[in-house]
Amino acid sequence: MKNEKKLFFRVLILMVILLFSTSALFAGGKKEGAAAPVQAKKAVSNARFNVGFTSEEAISTLIPDESWQYVEMGCIFWPLVYDQLWIMGPAPDYKPIPMLASSWETKDHQTWIFHLRKNAVFHDGVPVTAEDVAFTLKYLPKSDPAWEFPDTDCKSIKVIDKYTIQFTLADKHGGDYPPVYWTPILPKHVWEPYKDDMHSFDNSQAIGSGPFKLKEFKSGQYIWLERNDSYWGNKPNVGTVVLKTYGNSEAEYMALKKGEIDMIGYNSIDPLALKEFKGVKGVDVRIDPGITIDWLSFNLHKKNAITDVNVRKAIMYGIDTKRLISVAFLGYADPADSFMYKELPDHDPNLPQYTYNVDKAKSILAASGYKDTDGDGIVNDPKTGKDVVFELLGPSDWSIEVKMITLIKEQMKDIGIGIKPKIVDLDTFYDFWYAPDKDEFDIAIGNEEPGPHADWIWEFARSWNNGGEGWNCAYYNNATFDNYLDDMTVQSDMQKRKADLFKMQEILSKDLPYGFLVRYKSINPIRVDQFTGYTSTMGGVSTWINPWSYFNVKPVQ
Amino acid sequence: MKTLIFALKKISGAIVTIFAIVIANFVIFRVSPGDPIRMMFRDPRVSAEALQRMRVKFGLDKSMWGQFVDYFKQLMHGNLGFSFWQKRPVLDVIGDRIVQTLILVVTALVIATILGIILGAISGWKSGSKTDRTILSVSLVLYSVPTFAMGILLLLVFGYVLLIFPLGGISSPASGFTGFLYAKDVLWHMVLPAFSIVLWYVGEYILLTRSSMVEVMDQDYIVTARAKGLRESVIMRKHALRNALLPVVTLSGVNFAFAIAGVIEAETVFSWPGIGRLTYDAVMKRDYPLLQGIFLIFAVSVVLANLLVDLIYSRIDPRIKTGAAHD
Amino acid sequence: MTNAEKTAEIVNRKKKREIRKQKTRDFLYLLMNHRMGKVGVVIIVLFLFIAFAAPLLRTVNPHQTGKVAHILIPPNGRFWFGTDDLGRDVWSQVIFGSRVSLLIGFISAFATVFTGALIGIFAGFYGGYIEELLMRIVDFFMMLPALPLMIVLAAVLGPSIWNIIFVVSLISWPTTARVVRSQVLSLKERPFVEASRCIGATNSFLMFREILPNVIPILFAEAVIMITEAIYAEAVLSFLGLGDPIRISWGSMLHFAFASGTMARAPWWVLPPILSIVILIIGFSFLGTAVSDILKPGYKETKGL
Repeated sequence: MKNEKKLFFRVLILMVILLFSTSALFAGGKKEGAAAPVQAKKAVSNARFNVGFTSEEAISTLIPDESWQYVEMGCIFWPLVYDQLWIMGPAPDYKPIPMLASSWETKDHQTWIFHLRKNAVFHDGVPVTAEDVAFTLKYLPKSDPAWEFPDTDCKSIKVIDKYTIQFTLADKHGGDYPPVYWTPILPKHVWEPYKDDMHSFDNSQAIGSGPFKLKEFKSGQYIWLERNDSYWGNKPNVGTVVLKTYGNSEAEYMALKKGEIDMIGYNSIDPLALKEFKGVKGVDVRIDPGITIDWLSFNLHKKNAITDVNVRKAIMYGIDTKRLISVAFLGYADPADSFMYKELPDHDPNLPQYTYNVDKAKSILAASGYKDTDGDGIVNDPKTGKDVVFELLGPSDWSIEVKMITLIKEQMKDIGIGIKPKIVDLDTFYDFWYAPDKDEFDIAIGNEEPGPHADWIWEFARSWNNGGEGWNCAYYNNATFDNYLDDMTVQSDMQKRKADLFKMQEILSKDLPYGFLVRYKSINPIRVDQFTGYTSTMGGVSTWINPWSYFNVKPVQ
Repeated sequence: MKTLIFALKKISGAIVTIFAIVIANFVIFRVSPGDPIRMMFRDPRVSAEALQRMRVKFGLDKSMWGQFVDYFKQLMHGNLGFSFWQKRPVLDVIGDRIVQTLILVVTALVIATILGIILGAISGWKSGSKTDRTILSVSLVLYSVPTFAMGILLLLVFGYVLLIFPLGGISSPASGFTGFLYAKDVLWHMVLPAFSIVLWYVGEYILLTRSSMVEVMDQDYIVTARAKGLRESVIMRKHALRNALLPVVTLSGVNFAFAIAGVIEAETVFSWPGIGRLTYDAVMKRDYPLLQGIFLIFAVSVVLANLLVDLIYSRIDPRIKTGAAHD
Repeated sequence: MTNAEKTAEIVNRKKKREIRKQKTRDFLYLLMNHRMGKVGVVIIVLFLFIAFAAPLLRTVNPHQTGKVAHILIPPNGRFWFGTDDLGRDVWSQVIFGSRVSLLIGFISAFATVFTGALIGIFAGFYGGYIEELLMRIVDFFMMLPALPLMIVLAAVLGPSIWNIIFVVSLISWPTTARVVRSQVLSLKERPFVEASRCIGATNSFLMFREILPNVIPILFAEAVIMITEAIYAEAVLSFLGLGDPIRISWGSMLHFAFASGTMARAPWWVLPPILSIVILIIGFSFLGTAVSDILKPGYKETKGL
């Protein structure tokens, strides 16, 4: 017995010593690790600005594919490292601002001439010329459909001289903004060998001409950027930007509270988490109008009651948007009634409103013949006699939308419509959502971030049979709508353009292929004890339309 | 001669198994829902021609048999396919992660084995005592806690509440550390994920060492040693433990391969950038070629580990050759 | 068959039934006198009670979303375990979650043991090529790494509890088949089987009336282990987001808590499902340990039976 005890204690003591000695070792290491960034921040010009992303938001390679458009870290990464011809300015007027192109001109809105800056150089020292722009315009849209927009679709491209480029678009480009929006200019000398398959080049150096250059990229861990001191324009006020990846949002929030990061890289925090940032020393919470609009897509390809516009109206009257906002968003959202944000001049203020009204919803259903004939609480389709039950599709990755589905299911029960939630992974969701003709859903909850310059968003409603296949996720067909849409995209008379947009909004509200629900508010905790100069636009301090915080932040003196 | 025949039989068995795994792996992913090419593009505007181009590029326009022949040929050339999500060869994607997983698994298993052997030996040495019962039930309990649940508990307590350890990852991002500092940083990040694995395996090792020890205790040489009047601790170390360790050591061999597969839970909870977390991410992104590649590597490593153990065992324990100890 | 023979047959059967009953009683006696077995049984019975009485034990409908003021609040008099991010009652969710875990556990254990026993008996009884082939298949399945295979299959098949049951059963049956086969190998050489064969019993009679009853204790032990593994598997798969997102289970509760980023602020949402999983698995593994102890030759005698 004695021996056994002795042995036991020996082992125990050994373990404890091991644990403590190693911990002491680690603790030492940790202190040094924490000290390094603080020291760096003292020297103003070399301050390190840390930004957090969750691993779902992180890019895993530097290949310029659709992940630069559809993955959050990609949307932030490339505008910092690459230059664009022009950029949409910050709030509130979102004016186009010259970047790589110092000016541009057009007579007919189809042929455009851009004049480039003469002092722009790539990170490897090679000057940026019209050849690079021509190269990018020619090959980038070909390599990935994500870059293939009407405003980059060129009939011909002509390099006039080293710093002047002229191109003719396939169609006229109307509106206030010039074409070639939000497109990185790639160095021809680097990409030439890979021009036919840009995905075959790993782009591990990420040579661009933007205000930051790549120092180190670790897939799944971080992107480490340094200020480009030979940038032609205003140089950023920080020496280093690190885009860090965290395993989940909780770890990310904790990192911000601890000061490991200064800002959340994309997407508003979950409203539930707001409380934990209140009163944290050195942290300020900004609340900005949102950029994301959530809506229901009604699948008009189905052969059931969802194709009846009265059923869709009843559904819209039956949804208690206020409750969605108060429960799923804790109040941090606004009702939405269009793809167009309410504060923009192109928003039609006289759209019909589907204000929550259970009685009205029920009477619309009753008037159209939908009555609960079998007494099970669910109305029956007058044509088939079957219960009216709809599949409501949503992606499991979007927690707030999953919450809304739960709430909508409860609310639809009150008006006698059954809802069967269909929660799938994100890729399957997109596969189903964009293909209503597969009949995989009756109703789907989806969202987009149109932004202020959003001619593209209306493609969601272009007639399926008239080139709308792809984005049209309601199988909607309306030739009148297409006419207005076609006119709007080429229209350079701003008044006529506005009239087109008003008409389009009105048609959508009446036909209800889409039922608009809410617009997120953006909640962004930021560390103000280290940095100032955070720039807000719609959607918050860091989004695909807002790289400004990265350009403007400066260390607190 | 007998040994050689046995070895050849085992090796050919392993080859057949691997071949079957390759076929199964191919079949499983052909029944997956959704169009793999469509899944490569989130952008809905991809033209039908572009899709067709990609189909031809990846050979998906061919018949099932043609696709299988292609797949097999590519495998022979060490090509595991092309990741939808990362748009690069699956082998490169996995290659980026394998070292991190090995570091984690080796560390965890070494600690678990040592702890398990010590505690199991104590327990078995005095089987039936209070210490034994305590160790036994603690190890049963530990063995019942899923690794991910243990991970969450450790993370909650030591990460969020006590703020002692980092919340995830393998190192401080963009620290610029090199050499010793970097190693320390990595070790510091490894404590929690490693322990969530250790606590699970230590239960298994305790149970195994204990039962092996109990068996050895009845052997004649221990009785003889006791009769000689040797000190208990000497008997334990020199005679009992040495013989009891054999099955435990072999188990670590098999476990090693299985542990790489089981590391998924710990890596997911602690965002450890290894193969386990990669599996989780591949599931989340429904990156079927990547999943397929990961699964093949897992399965083949288990088969090879088993083969190795069989061969080693046959040298140690001659009964196995005749198949007598097979069941 | 003469009357006398018939009577003898009936008496014989009765005797057999009596013996079996006595064996069951002995088994239960031994189990309740086994320290771990007792604890295991108590835990399992408790959870079975919770699962059956769930509609009575719940305080509110676990699916019912709550008022804004009731979102993510700590345990209190009304919500015993607090609420989740939609204001749903965690207590009621845990109560109902037990149903999913037990359902998956029992059905997959049944499917596993049924398939395993069938294949094991066939292989062991017939021997030869059939055995060789079946055992090759068994070896193949045993070689596969379980968790990655389950993850792959669950991802491919889609989220539903029936898929989880299918996946778990598909992966676990070989162990049972192997154990049963080795039992059958020794059983079929026993005198009573030989005797039956001599009086012209058919193969199926021999397999299912003579041999099967004798492997039932082993099957029971296997089933207990399988339940543990199935519960574990459901928890892991649901936690990884491969479970049915609409159905409440302990694993899916953890998944949502983990994904919502509120774990540290709302431990009441995380701890109940974790502890439930752990306690239930402990219950079954204690029971499993006890059963395998009892089935060891010679154990009975040490307890004076």
